Amino acid sequence: MALVAAHALTKRYGSSVIALDALTLEVEPGIIGLVGANGAGKSTFLKILLGLIQPTSGAAQVLDMDVTRQGTEIRQFVGYLPEHDCLPSDVSATEFVSHMGRMAGLPAAAARERTAEVLRHVGLYEERYRPIGGYSTGMKQRVKLAQALVHDPKLLLLDEPTNGLDPAGRDEMLELVKRTGTEFGIATIVASHLLGEIERVCSFLLAIDAGKLLRAAPIASFTERTGTLGVEVEDGADGLAARLTDAGLQAVVEGRTVLVDCPDERPYDIVRDAIDDLGLALVRLEHRRHRLEDLFRAEEPTVDAA
Amino acid sequence: MPRSPPLTQREPALAARESATGAIYDLGYRGYDGPRLGRRSAVATLFWASLRAAFGLKRSGRAKIVPWGLSAFLVAPAAVVVAISALVPGAPTPFSYDDYLWNLQILVAIFVAAQAPELVSADQRNQVLSLYFSHALLRSDYALAKLGALAAAVFGLTLVPMLVLFFGNVLLAADVPKAFGDQLENLPQVFGAPLLYALPLAALGMAIAAYTPRRAYATGAIIAVFIVSAAVGAILGEATSGTVARLAPLVNPFVAIDGTRDWLLGGSIAESPVHDSGLALWWFGAIALAIVVVGAATVVWRYRRIAA
Repeated sequence: MALVAAHALTKRYGSSVIALDALTLEVEPGIIGLVGANGAGKSTFLKILLGLIQPTSGAAQVLDMDVTRQGTEIRQFVGYLPEHDCLPSDVSATEFVSHMGRMAGLPAAAARERTAEVLRHVGLYEERYRPIGGYSTGMKQRVKLAQALVHDPKLLLLDEPTNGLDPAGRDEMLELVKRTGTEFGIATIVASHLLGEIERVCSFLLAIDAGKLLRAAPIASFTERTGTLGVEVEDGADGLAARLTDAGLQAVVEGRTVLVDCPDERPYDIVRDAIDDLGLALVRLEHRRHRLEDLFRAEEPTVDAA
Repeated sequence: MPRSPPLTQREPALAARESATGAIYDLGYRGYDGPRLGRRSAVATLFWASLRAAFGLKRSGRAKIVPWGLSAFLVAPAAVVVAISALVPGAPTPFSYDDYLWNLQILVAIFVAAQAPELVSADQRNQVLSLYFSHALLRSDYALAKLGALAAAVFGLTLVPMLVLFFGNVLLAADVPKAFGDQLENLPQVFGAPLLYALPLAALGMAIAAYTPRRAYATGAIIAVFIVSAAVGAILGEATSGTVARLAPLVNPFVAIDGTRDWLLGGSIAESPVHDSGLALWWFGAIALAIVVVGAATVVWRYRRIAA
């Protein structure tokens, strides 16, 4: 069973703005990162999955239910953390989360029990009996996560869960998201414009740009080794590059680093000997890895292209 | 505000008990396999929660001042009347079941103006709407649950003084069983009049309140509509003649409500312009029904369209 599937999903606002452009994808359960710049269509996609907004054309399924026809059924099994503030100020976290649990269809007793459990999980203790209006941003973000979890959803949709948090708060929230996804086994889609965060918690990545799917693959495949060897030296990178080129290797200079095309093991000895001969001070010798940021570059910088 | 340490470091009590007894208390995350009651339960929950909110229950003391103050003012005359007739048997009573709510309509109007925004403004202002709409209910369910809660609140508010009158008349009579028998014929008025006040006023108040996240604006707008409609009705009735003058009272929703009450439950009251207008009573019923239908449709339409 696919967790989420979309087929030619399109959402237009008016005639000119296209939020989603024939998006087609299918994802399996796990912690899925949905990454894209602001305005790439992440929030629109999540809202369509929830049935909050209707697609202009195309179709999407969540847990094998159709988003346009089975919205209320889907929403019983989905937890949603919106990007913006969404909490009342005059009620306590306990009351609010329990109320939301009942809105999700839990009986009163179960809602109370689960509220205590999820508030403990997100790390709200004595504070939970005070009105939410007095909470810090970090605590509010925890309440938002708690209300999304209270009904034990099969799918959790988190829209920029670290929004407005300071670095330490971000770390805690990401840790919480990771625990929720891995230990509790709740399938999670995390939308973010911060690649570093996605990289830390997600196992699978969906990259969208301007409403189109850029790439869908396991995170590992984005960060695997490339065929490029980076050689960083104190001085004389230009001389080294020239020497290596003479030896028949492809080499370019990038600052203090020489990038060497390295399809097999042969270049290692040549590089070592060249540095020794030139008497250079070697700082670092490493295989370059793909970086997630490369996804959003018009062209990936490679030795050949440079 | 001091930062909370990560969860894993925060359960010293549990850790201590673990080491003391050798038992493992960290149950970890438990799923939920129980029933999911779906849309009907969500709507019922929202209705009851909103009804409680209309009277400030489970809220701060400040939220209780307006609804409970108005309730007290609305019940007080009935209580006084009952007390007087207990002390001075046969004393003339200034209020009857028929005109009680008419005479105290200003209090009911203030309740609607104050509490309709209480039910809906904050959800818009704090953007809680997106959370409601991401649960198992429809936008129209939200609209109707809120409208129903306000109508129920106004019904409860206006029913209490009617019941005070009723039970006062029964229990303070010399012959209680006989008085109960005599008073039974008033029961339709006791329950019907509050209902006829509740539905149109709630629909009107909610239709206005749903349009702004600002509570004060909504309250001001509802008060303004009541004042302006009453003034326009009165002025048109005085300043014009012929058909316009006869139809003028219909502009005031309270007159429409009183006419409907008169039509369905009987009991004309002298102060109301209903009879002076000479209009057939069903006219008032039609206007009151129109207020309910248009008001409810407006609320539903608003929540269908609102961005969330």
